[in-house]
Amino acid sequence: MTQDVVPPAVHGRGKPPRKDGLAALAFLSPAIVTFLVFVLAPTAGVLYLSFYDWNLLSDGTFVGTDNFDRLVHDERLLHVYGSTAYMALAILAVNVVVGLLLAVLLETRMPRWLRGFFRLSFLFPFVVSASAVALIWRFLLNKDLGLVNYVLGVIGLDRIDWLGSSAWAPVSVIVVNSWKTIGFSILVYIAGLQAIPDVLREAAIVDGANAWTRFWRITFPMLSPTIFFLVVINTINSFQIFAEPRVLTQGGPGDASRTIVEYLYDRAFGDFDLGYASAIGITFMLVLIALTAIQFRLSRRWTFYE
Amino acid sequence: MSRILARVATFAILVLAALAITAPFLWIFRGAFSASDAELYKLPPTFSPDNLTAANFGKVTDQVPYFRFFVNSIIVSTTITAAQIVTCATAGYAFARLRFRGKGMLFAIVIGSLMIPIQVTIVPLFLVMSKLGLTNTLWSLILPGIFSGFGIFLLRQHFLALPYELEEAAKIDGAGHFRTFARVILPLSGPSIATLGILCFTYWWNDLLLPLVMISDTDRQTLPVGLVLLAGRFSTGSLGTIAAGIAMAIVPVLVVFIAAQRYIVQSIASSGLKL
Repeated sequence: MTQDVVPPAVHGRGKPPRKDGLAALAFLSPAIVTFLVFVLAPTAGVLYLSFYDWNLLSDGTFVGTDNFDRLVHDERLLHVYGSTAYMALAILAVNVVVGLLLAVLLETRMPRWLRGFFRLSFLFPFVVSASAVALIWRFLLNKDLGLVNYVLGVIGLDRIDWLGSSAWAPVSVIVVNSWKTIGFSILVYIAGLQAIPDVLREAAIVDGANAWTRFWRITFPMLSPTIFFLVVINTINSFQIFAEPRVLTQGGPGDASRTIVEYLYDRAFGDFDLGYASAIGITFMLVLIALTAIQFRLSRRWTFYE
Repeated sequence: MSRILARVATFAILVLAALAITAPFLWIFRGAFSASDAELYKLPPTFSPDNLTAANFGKVTDQVPYFRFFVNSIIVSTTITAAQIVTCATAGYAFARLRFRGKGMLFAIVIGSLMIPIQVTIVPLFLVMSKLGLTNTLWSLILPGIFSGFGIFLLRQHFLALPYELEEAAKIDGAGHFRTFARVILPLSGPSIATLGILCFTYWWNDLLLPLVMISDTDRQTLPVGLVLLAGRFSTGSLGTIAAGIAMAIVPVLVVFIAAQRYIVQSIASSGLKL
């Protein structure tokens, strides 16, 4: 904050001191207004509502911390958080690890058009609506008639009840969401890889370092800020998934593939229990903040900024 | 020898991945033109050009107001995208180029807003919209999408990477901040604005939660909910019809995406996404 208040004397190479405050206000006002109205006010609203018993018919009554007492004893909520975390962390891992692998492989020497084709096919599901994606996979993962089980049969494996068993339903959500989102991670990796100066790798080749050493000594540290960016963004995104479980499995069987957003949605717009849903929203926000804070803390140990 | 082996393995993995990612789409497009569901359920999948038909597309529009969904989705996504470009570009410029009190704190708030996704605030957003009488209108889908912390971050990163020299020249010519922004910065920022545009458009084009919450009138629905409605009827109806519905939803994004994809790579590469 202080770095922005520059005293006139040291303001720079002979330029007259400028006051940008007014211009900044003008440039920031659209963002500030929309932030206040559509982010800050609703956030305050969630906090407010979480102390009320509020349904859609009446304006609600103040109940103090009742909603939070309920949270603590809601075993279903705990279970849903567990399945959300399981699916989100797996999606995160696939994006960060498999995405890196595919992006590195794409660096191999090959014709331009072929590289373009691979990039395009990897990124394509990212732009298709999650509900369309989930509908397609609902057919592909069908236990008796689906293509996936057919392929498994061809290579001699047993049929899997992808959508109907509590062991496999979350796996289906993981597969389908990763399939949709991995293209974006690959793209960000490609960009990060392109930013690594060629001289570094060439020097390592001259020194006789093999591909494995080059990856861990040059590519990985140079790429660490990109990896960190993807970890943070993918964590936030994968904890928010809603469409895939909704369309694929309806969160079931039981709560096996239910995510926290689905649970919140059902409490708010299924049971019309808006106060309790708001309390769930608060916990969700706190979880995201805590996860991001932990990641920033840990990142100091492994990221490398030039 | 081992180098050849490594190359073969590399391409095998890439081809397998590309196949795994594109095959479901090929299957859907084939389904959309397929005359009978029995053929679609045949395993292994077969393909014969004799059995192709365009009848499924007509069935889609008979069963649900598909073009309404489509138009609604276009209106919502393009309006949010245009509005986001304005709010994010102006704010991004302020954070990248202007000196003002509280900049660090405000930028921290922008990054912090990433942790308050719409899923957290959906309940009060719904109450506010219904108090304003906006539920069941497209406004209830547009307004909550206009602010984007990620968009501000993306454009700020890009503006920071632009060289100062051109702006200096403009300033010597007496241009104020607004003219510098409009005449120097924006013309240099096509690719990154296109990237924000595509990321924003596809996000809202795909959103399922907000329309489910805000819209109850079928005619005001957007495509993602529309497809689910169509599929709901499918359980008693035809697989070819739902495939046709999905295919029709995919083609427009596919076209836009192919046209713009090289800008996306270029711009993400030049902006250096780092936190």
